Amino acid sequence: MAVNSLPVTLKNITKIFIDPHSKSRVVAVDDISIRINAGELVTLLGPSGCGKTTTLRMVAGFELPTKGKIFVGDNEITMLLPNQRDTAMVFQSYGLFPHMTVAQNVGYGLKIRKIPKNQINKKVNEILDLVGLSDLGDRPPARLSGGQQQRVALARALIVEPSVLLLDEPLSNLDALLREQMRIEIRRIQKSLGITAIYVTHDRIEAMSLSDRIIVMNKGKIAQVGSPSEIYINPASEFVAGFIGKATFFPVKIDSVELGVARVFLDDKEIRIKRGAKETEGSETGRILTRPESLKLVEKGTGQITGTVKYNVYLGNTVESYIQTKFGELMAQIDNPAINKIYDEGKQVDIEIKPEISKLFASE
Amino acid sequence: MFSKKKIIIFIILAFFVLILDFWIFNTLKTDFIKTVEEMYETNAQSIADGAPRNPEDVQNWINNLQLQEGNSVLYIVGSPFSVKDLYSISENERLTEYFNKNKESPEFLDAMESSAYGEKYILSDSVKIDNNKKMIIFVPVTDPEWWETVGTLLISFDQKPINDFTDLLNVFAIAIFSLFVIVYFFGKFTRDPVTNYLIIIIFVIIGIFIAFPLYQAVKLTFLENGSFSLDLWVKILTKGQYLEALWGSVKLGLITATCSTLIGYLFAFSVTRMRLKGKKFFSIMATLPIISPPFSLTLSIILLFGNNGLITKQLLNISDSISIYGLGGLVVVQTMGMFPIAFLTLSGVLESIDSTLEDAALNLRASKWQTFRTVTLPLSIPGIASSWLLVFTTSLADFANPLMLAGKYKVLSVEAYMEVTGLNRLNYGAALSLLLLVPTATAFLLQRYWVNKKSYVTITGKPSARLTELTNKPTKAFLITAMVLVTVFLISLYGTIIAGCFVKNWGIDYSFTLENWPEALSRGKDAIFDTLTLAAIATPIAGILSMLVAFIVVRKKFIGKRLLEIGVMIPFAVPGTMIGISYILAFNTPPILLVGTASIIIINYIVRELPVGVEGGIAVLKQMDPAIEEAAQDLGAGPGRIFRTILLPLIRPAFISSLSYTFVRSMTAVSAVIFLISANWYHMTVLIYNFSENLRFGLASVLSTTLIIIVLAVFGLMRLLLPKNDLLTKTITK
Repeated sequence: MAVNSLPVTLKNITKIFIDPHSKSRVVAVDDISIRINAGELVTLLGPSGCGKTTTLRMVAGFELPTKGKIFVGDNEITMLLPNQRDTAMVFQSYGLFPHMTVAQNVGYGLKIRKIPKNQINKKVNEILDLVGLSDLGDRPPARLSGGQQQRVALARALIVEPSVLLLDEPLSNLDALLREQMRIEIRRIQKSLGITAIYVTHDRIEAMSLSDRIIVMNKGKIAQVGSPSEIYINPASEFVAGFIGKATFFPVKIDSVELGVARVFLDDKEIRIKRGAKETEGSETGRILTRPESLKLVEKGTGQITGTVKYNVYLGNTVESYIQTKFGELMAQIDNPAINKIYDEGKQVDIEIKPEISKLFASE
Repeated sequence: MFSKKKIIIFIILAFFVLILDFWIFNTLKTDFIKTVEEMYETNAQSIADGAPRNPEDVQNWINNLQLQEGNSVLYIVGSPFSVKDLYSISENERLTEYFNKNKESPEFLDAMESSAYGEKYILSDSVKIDNNKKMIIFVPVTDPEWWETVGTLLISFDQKPINDFTDLLNVFAIAIFSLFVIVYFFGKFTRDPVTNYLIIIIFVIIGIFIAFPLYQAVKLTFLENGSFSLDLWVKILTKGQYLEALWGSVKLGLITATCSTLIGYLFAFSVTRMRLKGKKFFSIMATLPIISPPFSLTLSIILLFGNNGLITKQLLNISDSISIYGLGGLVVVQTMGMFPIAFLTLSGVLESIDSTLEDAALNLRASKWQTFRTVTLPLSIPGIASSWLLVFTTSLADFANPLMLAGKYKVLSVEAYMEVTGLNRLNYGAALSLLLLVPTATAFLLQRYWVNKKSYVTITGKPSARLTELTNKPTKAFLITAMVLVTVFLISLYGTIIAGCFVKNWGIDYSFTLENWPEALSRGKDAIFDTLTLAAIATPIAGILSMLVAFIVVRKKFIGKRLLEIGVMIPFAVPGTMIGISYILAFNTPPILLVGTASIIIINYIVRELPVGVEGGIAVLKQMDPAIEEAAQDLGAGPGRIFRTILLPLIRPAFISSLSYTFVRSMTAVSAVIFLISANWYHMTVLIYNFSENLRFGLASVLSTTLIIIVLAVFGLMRLLLPKNDLLTKTITK
């Protein structure tokens, strides 16, 4: 299979819905611009109602933007009908045709393109091989498992050799184990074909494990664009930080910012932190973002925060230790529990914040 | 989409099309007028050729002259040279008046001068006489011997035919231009022209075949001699006779609805909430009357209990003291015919009440009766209200049963029919059927938007296989006895019709005969053929159209969607009588002259059965995951292809049942059709009615039996065509 992948550009896209009941205007997507490079897999990540699916459906042509333009390559496709676009979509509910066999489902797009029958058969077999369903061509979709149905949906979209592949929460109907498998599968196929892909999900693990880049969306706007690690380690806002992983914030006084290092005080304990320092210059107060892995449990009197262990949750490779502090309950992650010390429930401990994997935000 | 270039091209093109359109139709018009004028001239000449030369004969000649309506002749006696001495003779006073007023005008003098030289003269402008436009031609009457003009004929030709035709041409011209604008506009400026065309076509259909006739009917009731007046309504609302009919309809509806709901509940409860052998049989018996043709139950009631009825006359001989004609007989017939509606509604509701709820009540130490009273009954109350209102509406709109069985008892639907066919008072008929619309529409809307919202059924979920027996033995015995009685009665009613086919002269001579069959079938041959043909034409159109409407209603967003839904659903709530009357009103004059043709009956079928098909389609489509169609579109399928390759196969069950329903309903229609049939296109049901009115019960029975056989055959065929595969229905749902 040869795919002619093309970049996708969204320019100042706005989508306003009229609520049918209250007749009020709902801004689903608010003036966003995105460029997705050829062959790249980009994830639109965000909570429900953030406009990610609407954005995807505008690229597919099922919704029309209220304002703005969409390009595939150099061609504007903003107003084209879905059947006039060179995009192919994998639907959340798969949308398999129940009255056709797997092979007929997969071959449907080629039949519409008036490809001769023997070629259709050949291509269908090829693509069923690729998704690992070679011997299920004669089955009706209802006789397949969820994961197999998912593969059929993917094969049906890929066979028309689209310039852009669109995936709308394709794994949300599968159980956890299958989801992990399919994630790897989708990534493998996407990379081997070098196809441009836009992937919508609300699952951060899915987004991080699949994507070249993640676009985090919130309330119709783009919150941050970046590679998975950029977004995890250096989130642009407290919202992104909280959405991409477990986050605990501590209020601090900012004493000074010098040479890219901020000197801040958590109560009266001094912390020196680099990440986010520049942006907080001039602010007097701020908040430190920490992750479970940036909170280290230490003997009483040696850390910055004092607390009591409430309970420990043993997970094998890690232990989650829940600590009651004056900032509320928080969770510290202890790796390698066989080696590192676990503090018993009810015991007083101190917590040390590791500034290398934390970030400072100025108060709003 | 709206680029400047496209708009400019559109405007320029529209301009050219407008000019072309105007030019073509103007040419057509001038050509036509010229032809007619030439015809009139020839006509005038031949009149002049036959005119007497002797002034004394003129009066006689004029009196005997045979002219087409609207045309008249005025004879101007004397040589046109001596204008002063002229006098005129005509049978038309207005024409004389007009001539005397204008005879000194320059144009008349010119005309007379032409006449003097033996030439015809046509007035350049048409003239208004008698409130009608006329064309005036002057023709000289010449003495053949001397070639001398001895008189002049002034002939006025009616211009109405010309005007009618030019009006029609104008309508066509406007229609063609707007068609161009619409097609071009939607084709170039919208994303999905096919759907848009479809929406417009449906709106046009609703406009012409639903809104327009009903508007005509309503308008007629407010007109008196061409101007607005409330006279008719004052008359109707103050005359006891009509109010009596209104009350008669409502009273009948109240009683029938109550009886039907009771029997329906009895059957529904027994079949769904009791352990019982022969459930299937009782279900079939309780559904059968719904597809039985009109008049069939009435017919057998008359055969059994009528003045010459088997039971009333031959067995008991009480037919002089008891009459089946009137409220009592109507209640019996309507209840037998309509309790299936209640049964179907209620068994649906009762079936979906989860037995667990009753178990819970019993578990909390409620007795069986308490459980029924506090759990089962309250949960089925919305269903009871719904089925009561449904039967009430059906009873009010019913026309066939009262037509044959009302006797002196007055109901509105029959009164409206009598006003139209007996007294030829269309306006009264329209007003009465409008009056009938008030209670029917109220009940319909209540059922739709109030009761349905109160339903608990959706909450309780799926029917459970388990059943908790709520009845003790005596109750069960009572329920079964009641069911058996109703069933036996029903079977004997149908049996009577079949028996009626083989009896020589019901009521007098009960000897066996086969003679009814050849006579009925040979006399009814044309009607049977007509009915089948009309139904067969209407069915596929209504089927496809209803699925298309359902599709755009469920899947497309557009302005005026609500309006379209309401428009399509109107014939559901409007009694057939009203539709029939409004159709003859709307379509008996140009530009849409349909009365007497097959198309008016077919269109009426389609419009009346559309709502049911649309509802069925909507129900199925709403269950269907939109992603299925979106996937097809995403893979490159256009709207037509999606409809054909995805939607139709998936909604096949709804489609087929809508088809068979339309076919059967068309075969068994009466209320609207009775106004629309003609000598060319007759309907079986009306023929059954005519036979029974003429006391030819044997023939009526044969035709009824034939109709029942056809209907059953269609339903049997439908069962065969319906897929048993529920794998399909499972996977298309969300």
